[in-house]
Amino acid sequence: METFIEEMKRYLGVTEEDAELMRKLGPRMEKYLPELAERFYAQIPLHPNAFRVFTGGEAQINHLKQTLQAWARGLFRGVYDEDYAAERYQIGFRHVRIGLEQKYVISAMSIVRSYLYDCLLFEFPASDQRMRAAHALGRVLDLDLNLMCESYMHATLENLRSINEHLERANRELDEASRSKDEFLALVSHELRTPLNSVMGFTKLILDGLTKNPEEEKELLREVFSSAQHLLGLVNDILDIGRIEAGRVALRLQNMNPRAAIESSVALVAVQAIEKNLKIRDETLEVDLPRIRADEVRLRQVLLNLLMNAVKFTRKGTVTLRAVPSHPPGFLRLEVEDTGVGVPQGKRERVFEKFVQANPSQARRQEGSGLGLAISRKLVELMGGSIGLTSGPGGVGTLVWFTLPMVEEPGASESSSQQQGVVSTPATS
Amino acid sequence: MTRPQRILIVEDNALVAKFYRMALERAGGFECLVTENVPEMLEEVEAQRINLVLLDISLSNAEWEGRPIDGVELGRLLKERAAQPLPILIATAHAMAGDRERLLAASGADDYVEKPIFDAQELVDKVRSMLARD
Repeated sequence: METFIEEMKRYLGVTEEDAELMRKLGPRMEKYLPELAERFYAQIPLHPNAFRVFTGGEAQINHLKQTLQAWARGLFRGVYDEDYAAERYQIGFRHVRIGLEQKYVISAMSIVRSYLYDCLLFEFPASDQRMRAAHALGRVLDLDLNLMCESYMHATLENLRSINEHLERANRELDEASRSKDEFLALVSHELRTPLNSVMGFTKLILDGLTKNPEEEKELLREVFSSAQHLLGLVNDILDIGRIEAGRVALRLQNMNPRAAIESSVALVAVQAIEKNLKIRDETLEVDLPRIRADEVRLRQVLLNLLMNAVKFTRKGTVTLRAVPSHPPGFLRLEVEDTGVGVPQGKRERVFEKFVQANPSQARRQEGSGLGLAISRKLVELMGGSIGLTSGPGGVGTLVWFTLPMVEEPGASESSSQQQGVVSTPATS
Repeated sequence: MTRPQRILIVEDNALVAKFYRMALERAGGFECLVTENVPEMLEEVEAQRINLVLLDISLSNAEWEGRPIDGVELGRLLKERAAQPLPILIATAHAMAGDRERLLAASGADDYVEKPIFDAQELVDKVRSMLARD
């Protein structure tokens, strides 16, 4: 098959005779090359886009002048083969990469062309010789320019292809995001309708006079109230996870001792535990807690979520809170372990998804929004830690753990606790 | 006096089930059976002790042949086992566009109501009209 440069030579009529003529011309043109370079770079830096190329000052220009002379010598070497083509072909790619347009190279080449024609005037007083040289030179310069322009086109196409790929990828990601938004909306709609059914249904029964006595009405109103409370919890959790996912949660990270957050969470959950006759064991009291970097409010939210879950899914036994410093190195690991129903192996990752419960039958669905673990995971990850779930000792119950980064120097001075940082959540889709 | 007609309520949310029972019993004079126990339902249906089923789609506790079963599958199973034509009314909180047609077709149920269902008389009217079709 005909190569590109062979095809070009055929189109432009560049013959072996032209090449021979150029070779003979070479030594006679050598003395004009420094002046060619001077003229070229006297005018080219005035081009409006020249600032993109000529960023290296005088030193760069001097170097480029040498390069231009070397190129002209190559032109007069009279060898227009694949290697020559490949070298010229690089230019368009280079220029497209730095954002320099094709018209720049065309105007530059016209300076070269008119100066070299002037030179021929001095070298060949006889017009027939001059004409033959000028025609050969013209065809070779056309060939050279064509190679560069072709490379511009290919480089531009390649550029467009990569932009297209980028756009297609972005489009797919948007589709994906919009699909998961739709799914979330469907789940939210479903979760809201159920408690709403109780609120409206029981209220209407009373209004319609279908209740038997004031005691029964009171009982139904209590159900209405608890359903409304559940609705409020749902709305709060939905807003919370919406804010986190939209990247609108600003964490107030500070160096802190987690003791206060642990104590207040345990105290809050103790009330429910006592009602259910469960024991709460705070084993973190046996550990010298290291300072960690976290958002105190959000740490409390995560702890409370995990402790509430443990109490909710445990019928009898103990809920244990444990702290393991430097596990893994650089992190404090906190564990909430219960002796409850446990989570089957296959569901241990899924329970961190929105509205997924491992054993819906074990707890009245009313009791949770189904968003607690999803929120906890996002918050822990935002604070730089990770979260996971295994079974308790001997395969009984559930153990949820999470890690938070410890403050680097163990003997950090008190003033370091005053350092505060605000971290925005990265937008997730 | 004729024996009251019996309605099987399959609903995993205890409060919602309680509302259905009260509404159907008090505004319609029906007798209700609330259960998520599939073998028990089948026994009742096969013995022709059920006149209509009020069926939820998301069931947390129903199991059949060792695995969870949802209202769609359960609807088909009950229809298949019923000794006489058994009207099934789906009541679900799946209320997004397209859910209605999809759920009716998949479950073989006869009609569909969207939660929240809160008007006892409307529910009773719906049930009565379905019972009158046969």
